[in-house]
Amino acid sequence: MIKRLLLVPLLGAILLLFILAMTDLEVIYNNAGRVFFGSNAYLDTGSYNAVTAIYLDYRLFDSLFEAGILLIAVAGIMWISQHKIKEKNASFMLDKFKTPDLFITFSRLLYPIMLTFGIFVIVNGHLSPGGGFQGGAIVATAILILYYIDISKTIDVKLILTIEKVLFILLLLVASLSFLTKDGLLFTNFIPSSAPESKTIFLMILNVLIGIKVALGLVSIFTAFLKEGR
Amino acid sequence: MDEFIPLSLQIVLIIIAIFIVLHKKNFTIIILISAFSLVAATLYTLNKAPDVAIAEVAIGSAIIPLIYVISISRQREFIILDKTHTGFIAPDTKLDGIVYELLEKFVKANNLKLNICCDIEGDEFDLTNELNVDLILTIDPITNKYIIKGKESSLLVEKLAVMAEKYDTIEVIELEENDFYD
Repeated sequence: MIKRLLLVPLLGAILLLFILAMTDLEVIYNNAGRVFFGSNAYLDTGSYNAVTAIYLDYRLFDSLFEAGILLIAVAGIMWISQHKIKEKNASFMLDKFKTPDLFITFSRLLYPIMLTFGIFVIVNGHLSPGGGFQGGAIVATAILILYYIDISKTIDVKLILTIEKVLFILLLLVASLSFLTKDGLLFTNFIPSSAPESKTIFLMILNVLIGIKVALGLVSIFTAFLKEGR
Repeated sequence: MDEFIPLSLQIVLIIIAIFIVLHKKNFTIIILISAFSLVAATLYTLNKAPDVAIAEVAIGSAIIPLIYVISISRQREFIILDKTHTGFIAPDTKLDGIVYELLEKFVKANNLKLNICCDIEGDEFDLTNELNVDLILTIDPITNKYIIKGKESSLLVEKLAVMAEKYDTIEVIELEENDFYD
């Protein structure tokens, strides 16, 4: 009880310090970054989308760790849900009940559209809003709809996890290719030409790699949840 | 008008958040969570962040509700492993028989869903602890009695044992459990 009462003035003091630190709002909320990225992002990186310019060129080092976080999360979920019991031919009664026909028909109509839109978002990451992560999430959602069409469908989760690990290593290699072509400069665009048009190849390669990796990761998380406790 | 739409959406967001906290039914909460994500994505778009809005729509209103739906419907399932191989309780055939009658009645009384499975091999202890199998059904070769085994600590197994006293050919055995030292 005393501890909880002590928490209240402590939180109040933190709030007061926070408000006091926030007095110079004009220094904090200026548009210097917007002006800089608006004028320089396309010439520096070849990307019309300034967000892609930041996470695939200016701050590529941060994005690599972000990609690693998802891999670690997926690996952790796989490790928790493992068990040593054989259930190869196991059949469940509730799996035999079919989902409603209307839902199946709509899923079949929706599936190719979602898949195409996801791939569009991935490949056009440097031109339009979106990118590898967003497009990968859309592709994963499209694949998850397949489970509702046929719930007895099985995916080899270990194979997916292996592919994801290989893709992550590939991502690291592509990101550090600039060490060879740009005189020891790590984690930036590896294409030596300074023309913005030719630099887009690097952005597209990285976006496609990240997109496939995120889609596989989300699908394997979902599969683990579906198979958990069976 | 330009000020009115974001303001009203923010108020809707707060109302949905309060309803998520206060509501009792799980599936309604999932629908509310996905509505929350859609409203938040609209606000992101109005604040000129379409990148974040796409991620919010894809993850917040599609993947997370799907995962919640699956985990919550798993919680309501009552899984029974059929080891008799007589076919009377197997998934493909028509479901009847005295054990099925008892289990159906029991599941209805406890507001659960019956899920019968077969062809999983393993030790009884591992099956009930590592997998979510609630009951294991076997048949005694000499007396032709149906034997149902369940965890000792489960309250549902105790309730089932009380219900099964009326039936002569069904026997409920509670498996002993060792303590875990994780």
